[in-house]
Amino acid sequence: MMTAFLGSLLLAYSSMLALCQGLERHYKQVWGRAPTRLQRRVLRGSGWLLLAASLWGCAQAWGWAMGPVGWFGMLSLSGFALALLLPYAPRLAVYAPVLGLPCWLLLYALAG
Amino acid sequence: MKQTLTQSMAWLHTWGGLLFGWLLFAIFLTGSLAVFDQEIDHWMQPEIKQTSVSSAQAVEHAVAYLQRQHADASAWNISLPSERMPALRVTAGDRRSGISTYLDPLTGEPLVVRDTAGGTFFFRFHYSLSMPRNPGIWIVGLAAMAMLVALISGIIIHKKFFKEFFTFRPNKGQRSWLDAHNASAVLLLPFHLMITYTGLLIFALIYMPAALDSLYNGNFAAFYQEHIDVPEEHHAVQTSQAPLTDLAPLLAQAEARMGPLSGVVIEHPGRSDAHIEMRRVLGNRIALTKGHNMVFDGVTGELLAGPPELRPTVLVQRVMFGLHFAQFGGYPMRWLYFVCGLLSSAMIATGLVLFTVKRRRKYASESALGQQLYRLVESLNVATVAGLAVACIGLLWLNRLLPVELAQRAGWELRGFFAIWLLSLLHAWLRPRLQAWREQLSLAALLCLGLPLLSVFSDGQAWGDSMRLWLEVTVVALGLLLVWSVWRLRQPQVQRSERRERSVQAQVN
Amino acid sequence: MSKAGETTLAWPICSRVLAGLLGGYVFTYALTAALAQLLPLDRVDALLIASLLSFTFYTLAILWAFAARSAWRAWAVLPAAAPLALIGFWPHLLERLA
Repeated sequence: MMTAFLGSLLLAYSSMLALCQGLERHYKQVWGRAPTRLQRRVLRGSGWLLLAASLWGCAQAWGWAMGPVGWFGMLSLSGFALALLLPYAPRLAVYAPVLGLPCWLLLYALAG
Repeated sequence: MKQTLTQSMAWLHTWGGLLFGWLLFAIFLTGSLAVFDQEIDHWMQPEIKQTSVSSAQAVEHAVAYLQRQHADASAWNISLPSERMPALRVTAGDRRSGISTYLDPLTGEPLVVRDTAGGTFFFRFHYSLSMPRNPGIWIVGLAAMAMLVALISGIIIHKKFFKEFFTFRPNKGQRSWLDAHNASAVLLLPFHLMITYTGLLIFALIYMPAALDSLYNGNFAAFYQEHIDVPEEHHAVQTSQAPLTDLAPLLAQAEARMGPLSGVVIEHPGRSDAHIEMRRVLGNRIALTKGHNMVFDGVTGELLAGPPELRPTVLVQRVMFGLHFAQFGGYPMRWLYFVCGLLSSAMIATGLVLFTVKRRRKYASESALGQQLYRLVESLNVATVAGLAVACIGLLWLNRLLPVELAQRAGWELRGFFAIWLLSLLHAWLRPRLQAWREQLSLAALLCLGLPLLSVFSDGQAWGDSMRLWLEVTVVALGLLLVWSVWRLRQPQVQRSERRERSVQAQVN
Repeated sequence: MSKAGETTLAWPICSRVLAGLLGGYVFTYALTAALAQLLPLDRVDALLIASLLSFTFYTLAILWAFAARSAWRAWAVLPAAAPLALIGFWPHLLERLA
């Protein structure tokens, strides 16, 4: 349950990040230049995909009845965390999932 | 007075938000704490230890005790130990007004446990403002309507809903407060709308009895009988003595059907019309199953009424209740609700502060009455946000500092709570604004950080079990957050940047 | 804002507040009762659906009271309450008359 929960949280944050970076003002905020149209499309597309993946992950953790409820909570909280991180530590905000993924994989391996 | 929709909604949002904001902050904060009401209860009763004992064993001890001490009571109620509430508690007589005793789940012997307001106080305050009977419920309902109106009007006036979805620009004075208010409101919008609407639905038939009056002539009991299968109240004309059936197989049957049990009620124990009702632990589905119990015959052990099947509309209603009560989904879900609740409270607080920040310069040139009113608003802000925080953590301190043998102990804890809160208002009125904020938030931080120490000194040991450890860790974390907020208030940046707002800054930030 | 400006604004604001809170409540009550009677469903289902929706109606009524172009228009929903109440309580009325 915890692996599914944490995995969904990681996916939720990543989806919010991707969608956020797909917006010009926030891409500029992190990288200092405007994104190309391709970059924006890729970011937004992957954002929606990760969103769907996190919903599936929540359903794995809680079942399909409670899953969507937890999903909304996760999206809200990870979106808020992102909004708070961006002005203070933009690079950390972006690289957090990169750091989170190996930690989660380790947990997944240990949990069996 | 011709106004655009945005203007009228902005006016409504501002003034409705201000007038009800203080009440709503209190409701949201206590509601968030109520998510962990049983855990707080447990912390406030250090005499109770976490043990693992089977429900059958616990029931055996409970029945043996009740048989010894209260053999001719009209009813026995047994609260079984669960994951969230490790206490075994028996009540003889009516569940609310009968004689209650805590028992050691391992030995079955009575425990002396301090009388405390507990975390349950936060739950009661949340929906009734601690007022007896209905007035408090009505006021909370009105506040909830104000919240709905504020949410919808807020959406209407927020032009850059999607553009500023993730936008937060700190260190810019008023702009930052507005950003914080918008970000916490928009990103948590599903939660806000859900929690407010479902909250109203719980007491819907009190607030809006129109359909009940129209279809049932206001007869709630008739509606209740019709909407789920409840076992008929049978009043036996002649009763005789009859031994109570063995409960262990009934427990097993109930647990197989409904999952872990939270309690057993035995009506008319030792008589031929005895009834046994099994209550399940809430939360193995979203729908709130309060009152949906299994009923057995007390002498024969025959199942009289199973857990009721819910028709679709009743299921929808119960799911709505369940979404508000947040008993489902285990601890991960509970934590999501807790954090969302705290952020909602923060959202309301940012709104209250934004009101004063916006008008600070303007009110300097207002009439004497205007200035006093403004001063009152500022003081109420401090007392509601920081003062209530002090009172809440203060309640936990009072729980450990008040002598255990004090009569009406729970009442004194509550008097202390409200006294602290009232004093915080007085303090906020007398002190200059920034000092009032800093001093009260510092006190709250101190009390939070000091909680583990209090625990050690009052209990003789640190925390005692894992549940209390989690609580103390959380309180310390909140204390650190408060320390950070006090540190931020010391920064002169906030005032300086108000003047620098128009200066040239090339960054997006 | 001068003193004179304040007093001339007080009545429209009061009017809208009353229209929203009280007028809105009366309207919502009548509408909920009417809906409960009109829904072609079992009594229990009709009651639950009407009650579930009632707070949406009330919220909209309050918003209307403040969005309306004038303080008089803010009361627009109240006249609708009478016919709705009739629909909602016609069985009771028949009983009274019989």
